[in-house]
Amino acid sequence: MRTLLKFLQKYSNFLLFLLLETFAIWFLVQGSNYQRSRIVGLNRQISGYLFSKVDGARAYLSLREANLELVEENVKLRNRIDRMELLMDSAIVRSEFRDPYHFQYVPCRVVHNSVYKQYNYMTLDKGRKQGVFKDMGVISENGLVGIVLEASNNFATVIPVINRDFRLSVKLRSNNYAGILQWEGESPLFAVLNEIPFHVDLVLHDTIVTSGFSTIFPEGIDVGTIDSFSLDKGNFYEIRVRLSTDFQKLFNVNVIRNFKQDEQLNLEQQTR
Amino acid sequence: MYIIARNIFRFVVVVLFQVLVMDNVMISGYMIPYVYLLFILLMPFETPRWVVLLSGFMLGLGIDLFEHTLGMHTFATVLVAFIRPYILGMLAPRDGYEPDTFPRIHYYGFTWFLKYTLLIVFVHHFALFFLEVFQLQNFLSTLLRVILSSVLSASTIVLSQYFVFRK
Repeated sequence: MRTLLKFLQKYSNFLLFLLLETFAIWFLVQGSNYQRSRIVGLNRQISGYLFSKVDGARAYLSLREANLELVEENVKLRNRIDRMELLMDSAIVRSEFRDPYHFQYVPCRVVHNSVYKQYNYMTLDKGRKQGVFKDMGVISENGLVGIVLEASNNFATVIPVINRDFRLSVKLRSNNYAGILQWEGESPLFAVLNEIPFHVDLVLHDTIVTSGFSTIFPEGIDVGTIDSFSLDKGNFYEIRVRLSTDFQKLFNVNVIRNFKQDEQLNLEQQTR
Repeated sequence: MYIIARNIFRFVVVVLFQVLVMDNVMISGYMIPYVYLLFILLMPFETPRWVVLLSGFMLGLGIDLFEHTLGMHTFATVLVAFIRPYILGMLAPRDGYEPDTFPRIHYYGFTWFLKYTLLIVFVHHFALFFLEVFQLQNFLSTLLRVILSSVLSASTIVLSQYFVFRK
């Protein structure tokens, strides 16, 4: 007994060290259900509040850039209106014309954003009260951004394309072949598109868009362009995609609310 | 008592400074300054080891909560808190550390402080970055990130000695 006590006393610091590291590893393993743990839920409120305060200063410093972006978007939208009006005037309503009550956009500000980690996350300044819920798509005026991971009353966290857990079905705009978009943790400018079979003819700088197979994004939202491709892995291309969204200067985003998501998911559930 | 209050205050300031200011400083994907280690570095020599370990744990946890990386910073910081006495012993001057001094440039000089900071920061970044990637596939690219970030973090910490913790 005495030797045991002596042993404990002698190595107490080492044992404490082991105990604390065990806790840390346990946290790490739990990390996969990170968003579910309670301590984090409380923290999301606090960190969301703090980040939104700091964002005030950051936003002021980058007013000029944000302004330019808005001007550009304005021009784009005006062009689109012109095109639409032309279409309506000639009374050609195409079959794929979108139902106006299908998708709605909620404008949000990015109040916190990490870019240079392996598992990047983003915080938005809108939450459940403003109609932002789990599993909604997030886009910027340039294209795809990510998916809402979790929402509290006034804030939401987003898992962006540049997170190693991100997966999304996307397709080539020119020939509709679909593959899986993911990120390998190297640069925030590029992602990787897999599962495009070898017999497809690829052209550099070809556009890649969302496939619309999930209920999260409508079809045809810009993802990026083909930067390079290789056939190293047998029957499938490995395509390097230059992302159209610049994650390093992201301020304004839109969250997509799909009003027919439940209907589609229910139907698919019944069919299975 | 005074020293405890001062350290608690420093803890809060260091965590907030890291997550609110330093996390926005990203020179490139290879360089992220983690200056919160300052807190562990500057703890007095005679602090009991269990206090250093527990502070390391709280510090890492505090950073993890803001960075969405539950466990990673905790692991690396506890590791550093554990090896700190050994590194201090390794770098000790011939007649040991004098009473009433702190591990700072002001008392032990630039070279000593730089060595001390670099060693601690490197061990911390090594554990942190490899835990984050969790693979040995791109060993060299991760190692490069560890080295470059260590240099950046260490220089920021050394600079802070001239501007914030002058005495």
